[in-house]
Amino acid sequence: MNVFVIIYYTLLLGGSCLAAFYNKRSAFLLLFSLTLVSFILGIVGGVGALRIVAICAGLLALSAMVSYAFREFLVAIAPTNLAKELRTAPLTAGFGMFIIFTYAIAGIFAPWIAPFGEAQIISSAFAPPDETMLLGADQLGRDMFSRVIFGARNTVALALAGTVMAFLLGALAGLLAATTGGWFDQILARTSDVIMSIPSLIFALLMLSIFGGELANNTTSFVLLTIFAGVTGLLVVTAVSERSLLGWIIGLAVLAGVSTSFALGMLVIFNPSEIILVLVVAVIYSPRVFRLTRAVAGNVVVMDYIEAAKLRGERTWYLIRREILPNSTAPLVAEFGLEFCFVFLLIAGLSFLGLGIQPPTADWGSMVRENATLISFGDVTPLIPAGAIALLTVAINFVVDWMLHRSSGLKG
Amino acid sequence: MTKNKDVLLKIRDLKIQGYSDESWVDIIKGVDLTLHRGEVMGLIGESGAGKSTIGAACMGYARDGTRISNGSIEFDGMELTTATESERRALRGSRIAYVAQSAAASFNPAHKIIDQHTEAPLQYRIKKRVEAQEDAMQLYEKLRLPNPTEIGFRYPHQVSGGQLQRAMTAMAMSCRPDLIIFDEPTTALDVTTQIEVLAAIRDIVEEYNTAAIYITHDLAVVAQMADTIKVLLKGEEVEEASTKEMLDNPQEEYTKSLWAVRSFESPQKYRPKDGVPLISVRNVDASYTGGDKVLDDVSFDIYEGMTVAVVGESGSGKSTTARCITGLLPPSKGEILFRGEPFPPDYRNRTKDQLRQCQMIYQMADTALNPKVKISEIIGRPAAFYSGLKGAKLKNRVDELLDLIELEPSQYYNRYPPELSGGQKQRIGIARALAAEPSFIVCDEVTSALDQLVAEGILRLLDRLQDELNLAYMFITHDLATVRSIADEVVVMQHGKVVEQGPKDDMFTPPHHPYTDLLLSSVPEMDPNWLTTLLEERGIDNVGDAAAARIDPKDKKVSTT
Repeated sequence: MNVFVIIYYTLLLGGSCLAAFYNKRSAFLLLFSLTLVSFILGIVGGVGALRIVAICAGLLALSAMVSYAFREFLVAIAPTNLAKELRTAPLTAGFGMFIIFTYAIAGIFAPWIAPFGEAQIISSAFAPPDETMLLGADQLGRDMFSRVIFGARNTVALALAGTVMAFLLGALAGLLAATTGGWFDQILARTSDVIMSIPSLIFALLMLSIFGGELANNTTSFVLLTIFAGVTGLLVVTAVSERSLLGWIIGLAVLAGVSTSFALGMLVIFNPSEIILVLVVAVIYSPRVFRLTRAVAGNVVVMDYIEAAKLRGERTWYLIRREILPNSTAPLVAEFGLEFCFVFLLIAGLSFLGLGIQPPTADWGSMVRENATLISFGDVTPLIPAGAIALLTVAINFVVDWMLHRSSGLKG
Repeated sequence: MTKNKDVLLKIRDLKIQGYSDESWVDIIKGVDLTLHRGEVMGLIGESGAGKSTIGAACMGYARDGTRISNGSIEFDGMELTTATESERRALRGSRIAYVAQSAAASFNPAHKIIDQHTEAPLQYRIKKRVEAQEDAMQLYEKLRLPNPTEIGFRYPHQVSGGQLQRAMTAMAMSCRPDLIIFDEPTTALDVTTQIEVLAAIRDIVEEYNTAAIYITHDLAVVAQMADTIKVLLKGEEVEEASTKEMLDNPQEEYTKSLWAVRSFESPQKYRPKDGVPLISVRNVDASYTGGDKVLDDVSFDIYEGMTVAVVGESGSGKSTTARCITGLLPPSKGEILFRGEPFPPDYRNRTKDQLRQCQMIYQMADTALNPKVKISEIIGRPAAFYSGLKGAKLKNRVDELLDLIELEPSQYYNRYPPELSGGQKQRIGIARALAAEPSFIVCDEVTSALDQLVAEGILRLLDRLQDELNLAYMFITHDLATVRSIADEVVVMQHGKVVEQGPKDDMFTPPHHPYTDLLLSSVPEMDPNWLTTLLEERGIDNVGDAAAARIDPKDKKVSTT
């Protein structure tokens, strides 16, 4: 018997006795069943197995503490109304928010955090970790750690841009369809059905092979971006100007200006092939957003206060902005988080297939593929970017779960 | 019938807390209640008085977000507060049953009525399925449901509201419980249907010597049903006495105020001799897409500054008429005139000024106010929209409107609708209509979702505003007491037709149109023997729909209108 084992069992048994004494049923059951399991584990696996259990429990406790502290930190700095909401967040949501926060910091300050550039070759291929390279080198001798940090920036920024655009188009179309109804609603709904009927990965591959090669230049992506912004803006103009001719003229003029500058702005941030990727993602995911928004808004539109506003002679845009949107934000925000995960995974998947983000840009999906050969040598390097993807997905889902729970009004 | 005087339910010093704003607040503050076998007790009070909470507590049940914090509930010698959940569950359905306010919402729409009826006896292994079904049919017959052998095999949506409420009472009876809790079983029903349900409930409770707790806010109803009445206010008992004593000689001020509610009556105004009606509905027919005619040749006039009450059962086309006037449902024939000028049939073709003239106040203040918009914007928006007010002027106007509806501006300015009570919400709805400075307001059942005291306040407010602002109201209601207190003229509708119309005085003095007569005689009165007398007069099978169908088409009054 060594000291570790004695302390281990003393803590467990003492804890379960205390829990039983203070009538904490669930804590007692957890602790005592862990004790019983540990007896068997100890006999089968020896001290090593017990050590692993202890480390896991320690890690769990550590992340719980971090989540708790981070949630309290947010409560402390947030304004009163928001703080009240945040206080209802479970620890898992706190953990999720902490992870998202860390990723955001890593992404935004990547050039300062990463010790080397993302395409800088500093050692031999597949060099093992040492003092300068925390996670070793990849297949060309680039620093793995730096590339993971830069990957946060590239992958997440692309996924975010894609999701935001999908939401702008889908949500606007959904709100307008629910408010207007009739043939307008029918056209939009059937169009979205058509897009949704094509499997998303195949559709993405198709679109990317059409626009990905020769066509991925500044002119094409500018034109496509302008068309996308134009369609989205057209929905806004429809809602704002309704039947006034002057409204249409002014609206269209403003729309032309806005969509051109939007396209130019996007071109500054992303390169042409990335823009094509973002657009493909937006087109694939907007029908889902459209469906959800239309359903949510459909429930709001039948309320008496909408009728009152219609009878007052309000325009569709006012109805959407002031009456319907505030009553459908909760499910939409939750859906945003969820869709972001899907988009993120889609982009990582496309990069893994070699169709997404092009080298030498660091990206988690392609990093997994490039280093995949190492897995047969028992090296964990390719699992690091994969783990980064998994962790972010889990974190976002934790936060989304909390929001869904709140918006659905479930209890307990 | 002899009543066994054993104590069935004994509640002592019951305290129930509710969770709000991160702390527990007392909702029920120490209520005692003793119920004997076969006794019917009426619980009365405004909403928020804790009637339903006590009703649920009688089953040992605390609703979501509430907890029983103190006191004892003893049901037939069994303490419910300390009983385990499974023990309590074994009581529910078999020995204590519950009849909810809205049967339509409480039945599962996916199962046949009789399957839901037999669920409890089968669950408790009291009867076999076939026996339980036969028993159900007998109960249906006792409750005078049409086609008792067949009606159970329908789905809930294929049965009318009043019938569904009776089916639910039958379901509560399925295990012959010792205690039934009726939570406002007739509040959502028309007066004519209400009688059927009341008579059925009373008979069956008497026949099986079941104890009952009857929760309602309608005194006249409880006077028919209960042996004793308990009055509640804000979670505390005000007083308890036998029905007769309580009606004749109430002790507390609060009880007296409840009794005196229907005293309000606005002086009747008459049409100006010569003048153009403000709104005139001319031979209007209307139907919803593809459906049958809902309105058939409806015409009436509304003069400036007057209140026209439109009465009738649900489905008689009252609200549809309002939708035609406001332009939500363009009529298929006929027209709406405003000061002699035709109104465009579709609201989308009306000008801003035409829209402003005609405002609406809704029945359900909950759905009529956007829960995510501040009061200041709800009221301010029409003012800003029609009159173009901005900044300080707009704020002054909102303050003025809040003053007008007797709410303190500084307190309500920044609040959201869910933070207000039902009556306050309805006042905000009125303020929103007034903000447009209209000349005509459609009031669609504005008081039917409110308690009598609150409703009375709203009626007084509407009446005062009418005098101050010279408004015309079209007052849609099925409550004749409301009509009596506020209307100047009355239009009675049945099956989409106007059956009788005229000044209020004429309408309330006989001879009536038989349908008007039916409506009038169906309004419960405070007299505890009212229901018995009425049933004797009319005969037990001649109430509700049956009575309406029995109107002789050759009656003199029918053929003249």
